[in-house]
Amino acid sequence: MNKIMVEGINKNMDEIIERWITRMKEEKGERFFHFMPDHLVEKTSREFAVLMTSNINESSAANTERISDFTEKVVRFGWAIKFVNKAIDNFSDVVYEFLEEKEIINESNLRTFNLIFRNWINPLRESIIDAYSTEWERTVSLQKIALQELSASLIPVFEKISVMPLVGTIDTERAKLIMENLLEGVVSQRAEVVLLDITGVPVVDTMVAHHIIQAAEAVRLVGAKCMLVGIRPEIAQTIVALGIDLHEFTTKSTLQRGMQAALGMTNRAIVEVEAN
Amino acid sequence: MNARIPILKLNEVLIVSIQWELDDQTAIQFQEDLLNKMHETAALGVVIDLTPIDFIDSFIAKVLGDVINMTGLMGAKVVITGIQPAVAITLIELGIRLNNVMTALDLENGLDKLYKELEA
Amino acid sequence: MNFRSSVEIITEWDIVAARQLGRNEAKKAGFGTVDQARITTAISELARNIYLYAGKGKIEIERVSEGGAFGIKIIASDEGPGIPDLRKVMEDGFSTSGGLGAGMPGVKRLMDEFKVSSEPGVGTIITTKKWLH
Repeated sequence: MNKIMVEGINKNMDEIIERWITRMKEEKGERFFHFMPDHLVEKTSREFAVLMTSNINESSAANTERISDFTEKVVRFGWAIKFVNKAIDNFSDVVYEFLEEKEIINESNLRTFNLIFRNWINPLRESIIDAYSTEWERTVSLQKIALQELSASLIPVFEKISVMPLVGTIDTERAKLIMENLLEGVVSQRAEVVLLDITGVPVVDTMVAHHIIQAAEAVRLVGAKCMLVGIRPEIAQTIVALGIDLHEFTTKSTLQRGMQAALGMTNRAIVEVEAN
Repeated sequence: MNARIPILKLNEVLIVSIQWELDDQTAIQFQEDLLNKMHETAALGVVIDLTPIDFIDSFIAKVLGDVINMTGLMGAKVVITGIQPAVAITLIELGIRLNNVMTALDLENGLDKLYKELEA
Repeated sequence: MNFRSSVEIITEWDIVAARQLGRNEAKKAGFGTVDQARITTAISELARNIYLYAGKGKIEIERVSEGGAFGIKIIASDEGPGIPDLRKVMEDGFSTSGGLGAGMPGVKRLMDEFKVSSEPGVGTIITTKKWLH
């Protein structure tokens, strides 16, 4: 039965592909079939069709090797998962209709063909979903690591003064990391004043403020002072509107002002020298 | 096991270095010893160095907080030095702030701070 | 590998023993210094609660894994009077011993998961976990 089906498909491959492309062009939301040059669409479609049909041959149990080959190649097309799903749907619909027209599928063998179709399409779809979600998870975890790497290094600027620029959204996990890096840095750099620069933090809500206050208190415990700088007007507004009490530690609008204050706290100042 | 924590006198300042994990008895004993020593020597300041300590629970923190308050009542200033990052973080997470105490990175800084405070 | 070790809490010295065990286990499990301090402190708080309120109990420490995550589980159990009002002990500042009252909410903040069940007259079991990140 499979053989008849494969032969039927292979003989009429060109027409199946043409019908399939027409259908895919009707799909909204994917620009591939509209923006790519025709010969490329033709080439990719043929590849897709060959990959699709290569998996029918096997009698019953799905051939894992072929499927993973299919998945690997389809993922490389770079389509959205929804679109791939649609492509698989449309392809199987077109094939089904075609086989019906050619009367390869008829009343008597309908049940058998249903089973063949199911054994053909389902593993492909599952494999695609699996591949995409694995890829997403990988991306997410890589981004998480990237975010952790980019966040929170304490930079010694002057003797006794260090700066930690904070960039991006602060969640609980990052807040813990920031706190640890901050304190380890204070001790190893022997900083007496640390400036936390929140210029790059988009939103300061109660939770973020809470983390910042905790960090400042912990800094005090190890024996240094913590100053909050880079407070933009909208941040000042939200802090007051939320009723967050920051009056226990020094805050400055800019890193520059903070640095001046920090020098003052360590009994130093920047002086201009006359040019020769 | 009930070793006492040594308290050293340097001019008008007492120096305490806590070298090992505090158990409850030692902590309470220390509280008593320190207050007696303060009374004997009429010291003006105390530096307590906690550098080797790798954790402080709420009981030890309470004893320390009490010592700080009592010392204050006896007219002396206290500086706590060498609190490790891990200890600072756990204290904060426990909700313990040790608000009315000076802190410094190490003994040297602590003595500097104390002398400055005493001069003022 | 579910390796479990435990310390009976009867005297004040057992508190020290429990937290030493906790510190070693945390180190062996691969926790960093900050998490080691968190775990040690949490155990100290739990053990002290047993000593102060129940008089006798047990701290058990176990390595756990769940869905690819690895961590450490601490079970504190006693057959003491139980906690009559669970909600109240979880409030910051509440304490019946005149201590700092940082005990239970503090432990919850130090650890990642926290569960308490108590029955007056029967005893209390507190289970808390910390995951390796």
